[in-house]
Amino acid sequence: MKTYSDLEYLKLSKGKKFLYKISRFFCSIPQKILGLFVALWNLIKKGCSKVKEEAVDIFSTFVNGDWKTKVSFLVMGFGNIARGQILRGLLFLLFEVVFIGYMVLAGGYWLSMLPSLGKVGPSEEYDFVLDAYYTVYNDNSFKILLYGVLTIFFIIAFIYTWRVNVRQNKLAEQILAKGKKLKSGKDDLRSLVDDQFHKTLMALPLTGILIFTVLPIVFMILVAFTNYDGAHDGYYSNLFGWVGLDNFNTMLNWNVNSGGSVQSYAATFGEVLSWTLMWAFFATFTNYFLGMFVAMAINKKGINLKKLWRTVLVLTIAIPQFISLLYVSKMFAKNGIINGFLMSMGWITEALPFWEDPTWARITVIITNVWIGIPYLMLITTGILMNIPQDLYESARIDGANPWQQYTKITLPYMLFVTGPYLLTSFTGNMNNFNVIYLLTGGAPTNPAASSAAGTVGYTDLLITWLFKITQGAESQYYLASVVGILVFVVVALISLVVYNVLPSIKNEEDFQ
Amino acid sequence: MKKFLAVLMAAMMMFTMIGTAGATSLAGTYDITVWVAENAVELTKTQIENFNKTNELGIVFNATVEAVSEADAATQMITDVEAGGDLFCFAQDQFARLVQAGALAKLGVKAAETVSAANSSGVVAAATAGDTMYAYPLTADNGYFMYYDKSVIPEEHIDSLEALIADCEAAQKYFAYEMQTSAWYLAGVFFGTGCVSEWTMDEEGKNFVSVKDTFNSPEGLIAAKGIEKLVKSPFHLSSSSGSEFASGAAIVVTGTWDFNNVQGILGDNMGVADLPSFEVDGKEYHLGSFNGCKLMGVKPQVDAVKAAALHQLAQYLTGEQCQLERFEALSWGPSNLNAQASEAVQANPGLVALNAQAPYSVPQGQIHGSWWDIAKVIGDDIKAATDEAGLQQALDNYYDKIAALFKLDNNALLFVGAWNGWNNADETDTFYFKDGVLTLDVPESDYMGGRIVNPGKWDTDKGFAQVVTGAELIQDLGVEANPDNNIVFAEPGNYTVTVNGSEITIVKN
Repeated sequence: MKTYSDLEYLKLSKGKKFLYKISRFFCSIPQKILGLFVALWNLIKKGCSKVKEEAVDIFSTFVNGDWKTKVSFLVMGFGNIARGQILRGLLFLLFEVVFIGYMVLAGGYWLSMLPSLGKVGPSEEYDFVLDAYYTVYNDNSFKILLYGVLTIFFIIAFIYTWRVNVRQNKLAEQILAKGKKLKSGKDDLRSLVDDQFHKTLMALPLTGILIFTVLPIVFMILVAFTNYDGAHDGYYSNLFGWVGLDNFNTMLNWNVNSGGSVQSYAATFGEVLSWTLMWAFFATFTNYFLGMFVAMAINKKGINLKKLWRTVLVLTIAIPQFISLLYVSKMFAKNGIINGFLMSMGWITEALPFWEDPTWARITVIITNVWIGIPYLMLITTGILMNIPQDLYESARIDGANPWQQYTKITLPYMLFVTGPYLLTSFTGNMNNFNVIYLLTGGAPTNPAASSAAGTVGYTDLLITWLFKITQGAESQYYLASVVGILVFVVVALISLVVYNVLPSIKNEEDFQ
Repeated sequence: MKKFLAVLMAAMMMFTMIGTAGATSLAGTYDITVWVAENAVELTKTQIENFNKTNELGIVFNATVEAVSEADAATQMITDVEAGGDLFCFAQDQFARLVQAGALAKLGVKAAETVSAANSSGVVAAATAGDTMYAYPLTADNGYFMYYDKSVIPEEHIDSLEALIADCEAAQKYFAYEMQTSAWYLAGVFFGTGCVSEWTMDEEGKNFVSVKDTFNSPEGLIAAKGIEKLVKSPFHLSSSSGSEFASGAAIVVTGTWDFNNVQGILGDNMGVADLPSFEVDGKEYHLGSFNGCKLMGVKPQVDAVKAAALHQLAQYLTGEQCQLERFEALSWGPSNLNAQASEAVQANPGLVALNAQAPYSVPQGQIHGSWWDIAKVIGDDIKAATDEAGLQQALDNYYDKIAALFKLDNNALLFVGAWNGWNNADETDTFYFKDGVLTLDVPESDYMGGRIVNPGKWDTDKGFAQVVTGAELIQDLGVEANPDNNIVFAEPGNYTVTVNGSEITIVKN
């Protein structure tokens, strides 16, 4: 598209300026994505050269090192011990012993089973005397996958430690060559609460994150490449195994499962995704602007009982969503209190299809979400609004700006600047807003054309509620749910990356300092 | 091969028998978890206490009884079998899933015989997958009928769906019939016009091998028109909860479990009746229904002794005495034949209405788990339809989904033999008769024979004796050499085999 110079741009009318900005933004997307790939490629290249560097370093350490260093390649910590750093050396040695012990006793088994995820499934035996069946359970695919991944983590940790061990030998040799003294065990311990204090502090949280966050995520991602489902739970019913990219093919191929009039999974995914984005957009921005409006209205001079209004609104937060949402869902039902009231007043003769009609249902969930969301936004924005320097408004008034101009030129830019990151997180949060959708509609009304092999899909289903339905469906297709999970991550990550980079708070960091 | 295996198995079992001859006593204390419906928790505790006192085997159960609804039990079991109850109750529609998930232990031979003899045949079939019994029948009242508010609905209208809908609309009251969210209620309409959906499992009971489903047919279209009348009424409510009477309903279609609830709300105004008829093109069709049951299952155990003890308890809890106790305390309709014959059961108004519906109800056999999800959508699809083509489209959608999930053939037949390694499972697409025709390559081998069977079965469905055309292509070995009525080809080659009724035509290509 045509790029304008600054002068040309300034000559454009307001509408054209806006259009120009928007088209610039969209035109820059392919370039940004390309940039992402370039960055990725550079990262890989950098990684490769780093590995090469390391290899060369290890090799030269071995060739140039003394015999203590050479033995350390096999017996970790030997060099440290031989040079008097007993504590360090013993720790290295201990780690090696533990590692070898683990690999011999358990790790080797988990690792060897990982490629097959188990060989012998459960078998049913019959006891003639007792006239009873009992089951002999054998391999457990679930545990193999879990402990297999854990073992790989352990191996990576070992390789890293081994590398550190080699490097320390080299450093020790260099230090000794210069005639300096090596750190003793006491020095090491002291440094842990002194210059190495960050390591002491971070050790526990990092281990926790690794075990309770990273490991499950890796595990869940790997499930997408297996056939783990209700009939293949890996232990009690059948083993599960690797299926490669089959599940992604099922989910993303337009032709799979499209017998006759039934949508393929890809089409269903597309529909659910588009509604998810629509929902996230409306849920975020209706709340944002209406919340801001309410906050401004309450803040206005001359409004009495400010505290009362705020308390009334905050009451919605005080009631747990589980209760209020289920109740609202009943209220809007066909025979609920709202339809009942309208009918008894004679305003309508038949119930309004709040949850029955796709469009009605979508609008109703968005409006209900406004009701829940406004109080939060009101609380957040009240504080920020009070922070805007009053002299800005004063000078604007003197210059003759009307309230609307004051809002668009002062309030809104300031708000966007401060709450930009919040908007982004709440957008992604809304994409995964399980509670509101599941408790209000459960995804209803059903989309009859959508494939229902993995649970029924409705017009108000978000990707996250669909994912849940897949796991709860007749076949409990955990593998398909995992695929959806990965795709949700990809979508959210892409949106976050793009939006984050255009946020005013990131782009013009200095503006409101 | 199959026979050889059987002999081997028998031999192995003999050894096992000798080996475990010492472990005949079940006496001991066992810690177990039992899952029952919430309202049955106290009663079950008492019943287990009674079992501990009265059993002559010296079994003592230290039982933790937990409330898990029969609708949720399967999902909870499948999610985590290890944490599941040792004994658990569940509704019949979840049976197939549980068997596939390995969450049900088979009944012993003696137990299966006793239970089969003591219960009505429908519920025994419900607890059986393939040739194996996997669960104990607990109730036989899992069917539905109509509750209505006598103050709104005149008694002379209860036989006509159209009149009922008109009454509800006139009174601005709701007609609750779960047509959009439950295949269990919806399917009844199709049964009412003569449609069927019958599923067959293999012998092991782990896989479905064929289905006969005629929902997508002229009769199905009539049923769709019946459903349309209901779901398009502004006063139709897709619900099956007796509590709807408290929020504006005049009619609720539900089962005996709601009896006390509805009576509490309506009091003397409560009426019960079998389902009404609907009229399409001048012809009346009585609404059909499913009748099913609730079952009690034993979780597979590693220890044979504990397994045997648990089966003893399950047999006791589902026996005549316990079923009667449950009927008295909770109005659960018994499946035990003796219990069913008791006077009190015969006189229960809910069960009377259920019996009135019985001629129009279809026993709920084993059904593929995904069918429930696929079929329940029909209601919404019909509601969205604007004309007859739309109704037909709803049925087409249904058909396509089942076809995508499963090989749909109303006359499923397989040609098993040397050419496919005597494989009678449904995966052997290549040897599957489509519309009665199969083209097959017979490879050179010592025995170029086989037979036509139903998927999952070994018995000859059709064989040598039925070949009318092409007899010169096959060998006549005589009954003694060929007791199984196998078709044995004279030479390898490519053949087209056509099955038409009970006649087989073979042509060499």
